[in-house]
Amino acid sequence: MKDVYILGIESSCDETSCSIVKNGTVELATSTSSQIDIHENFGGVVPEIASREHVKNITLVIEDCLKKANMKIEDVTAIAITYGPGLIGSLLVGMQAAKTLSYIYNKPLVPVHHIAGHIYANSLVEELKFPLIALVVSGGHTELIKMTDHFNFEKLGGTLDDAIGECYDKVARVMGLPYPGGPKLDKLSKEGKPTYKLPIPLNDDSYNFSFSGLKSAVINLNHNEEQKGNDINKADLAASFQKVAVTSIVSKTKKALKDYNINNLIVAGGVAANSILRDALTDMCNENNIHLSIPPLKYCTDNAAMIASAGYYAYKLGRRADYHLNSLSTTALN
Amino acid sequence: MRVLYIDTSSDYLYSGIIIDDKLVSSIKRKYEKDLSKEALPKIIELFDKADITPKDLDKIIVVNGPGSFTGIRIGITIAKTIAWALNINITPISGLTAMAISCNTNTYKMPLIDARRGYVYGGIYDKDNNKVIEDSHIELKELLDKSKELGEVTVITNNDLDINIKKESYDPDILKIVKHFEDSNGINPHLVNPIYLKKTEAEEKAGL
Repeated sequence: MKDVYILGIESSCDETSCSIVKNGTVELATSTSSQIDIHENFGGVVPEIASREHVKNITLVIEDCLKKANMKIEDVTAIAITYGPGLIGSLLVGMQAAKTLSYIYNKPLVPVHHIAGHIYANSLVEELKFPLIALVVSGGHTELIKMTDHFNFEKLGGTLDDAIGECYDKVARVMGLPYPGGPKLDKLSKEGKPTYKLPIPLNDDSYNFSFSGLKSAVINLNHNEEQKGNDINKADLAASFQKVAVTSIVSKTKKALKDYNINNLIVAGGVAANSILRDALTDMCNENNIHLSIPPLKYCTDNAAMIASAGYYAYKLGRRADYHLNSLSTTALN
Repeated sequence: MRVLYIDTSSDYLYSGIIIDDKLVSSIKRKYEKDLSKEALPKIIELFDKADITPKDLDKIIVVNGPGSFTGIRIGITIAKTIAWALNINITPISGLTAMAISCNTNTYKMPLIDARRGYVYGGIYDKDNNKVIEDSHIELKELLDKSKELGEVTVITNNDLDINIKKESYDPDILKIVKHFEDSNGINPHLVNPIYLKKTEAEEKAGL
């Protein structure tokens, strides 16, 4: 069979990324311009600044990616683009570039949902085995999804308020850790013990999550101890927070696997890089004979390789868009 | 000489293809929210109507601001991608200059775009379209005061601004704009970026 080369473009938040993936599983080259250093000054991603950076970088990352892959766009089979969800001003820069390339080179345009991209990051490691449960944990999402085939998504549950990554960043900020605080909080927690009592979030029968109560509890605890003039042991607080947050995620994930009698779990999204979560999921899967797939760190954060990989399977299913394709800030996984 | 002109700095798509000093296809249409959806398909229609393909282009002229931040990025990204793919240059131009060029008058010209809260994006040009006062993000009152020292001024704007001097609405003369820049060789598309004339609120607050 003829090899299929997908050029993927991702610009939904603060990374401008272009990648070429062969047959959905082999990453040939990726070029990503990250804006973390810029947004660090503001304690979080500033949408207008992100959009401004995307315009500066978009043609540069495409050129760099092709150079790394030693390919021309003429050699590419199709162009995959993240159409949403994400920051609208950011999304539409990648969208205009992808549509324009598709027109000039007469290549099919394949629309890819950002979360589908995160899930398919796993196929850059090994082909997805169905049925599976996908746990998506990132700055914008905390979701449990059941898949019985390619691009067959059934959302079992999700967060009712804050996404887990958002909660990590906010808690880290209260503790005085610089943006992006999630990874720093993860590191700090290893030096501490879970001595602080925090409420277990949404310990119910659903597959939903809730993290705003946990976040408020940490903020209040921090505030109250400060008022009393007590020193907070930040490492212990980080460990206490992580323990509760991770326990909640792992127990709901385990419940979904058990209820649906599914033996494959894949993890996706930026928070999949969290070491405590990785360890806890690994233990749970070992104990229950579940096959676990967590992508390497470089595929956990936003990148175009995952979009190109998802784009391959979408292309195979005949998914196409015309030049009227628009970016969407919110859109259901499809 | 085959030139593509793109201006998406307002709610409108202003675009045209010029072949050997003739405007062979053009569009002037209001889109607002649908600009990101419609801009490329409409530009493709222009190519079809002109019976050329992007590969036949010698140059792109694109308005790089000021105006709607999102709008500017749509036109610039399309222009950059076409020019990069075809290895041609882009001449980025000020939308205020384009407004001045399109206005036939013997007075000074003051193109204005509403930037809200009493501010405008504006500049002042002489009758031959040379800049007298640089484009800037400025309080309307301050720019009006500056204009008083010059003599008779015609305001060009499509916004509802409270001004009691001679006012004309903006209707781009795409052929005239393109001819005005016919000697410009343009620059590498990687280097073309919006000129916002205004920092983001986050940068202003942070004092950056």
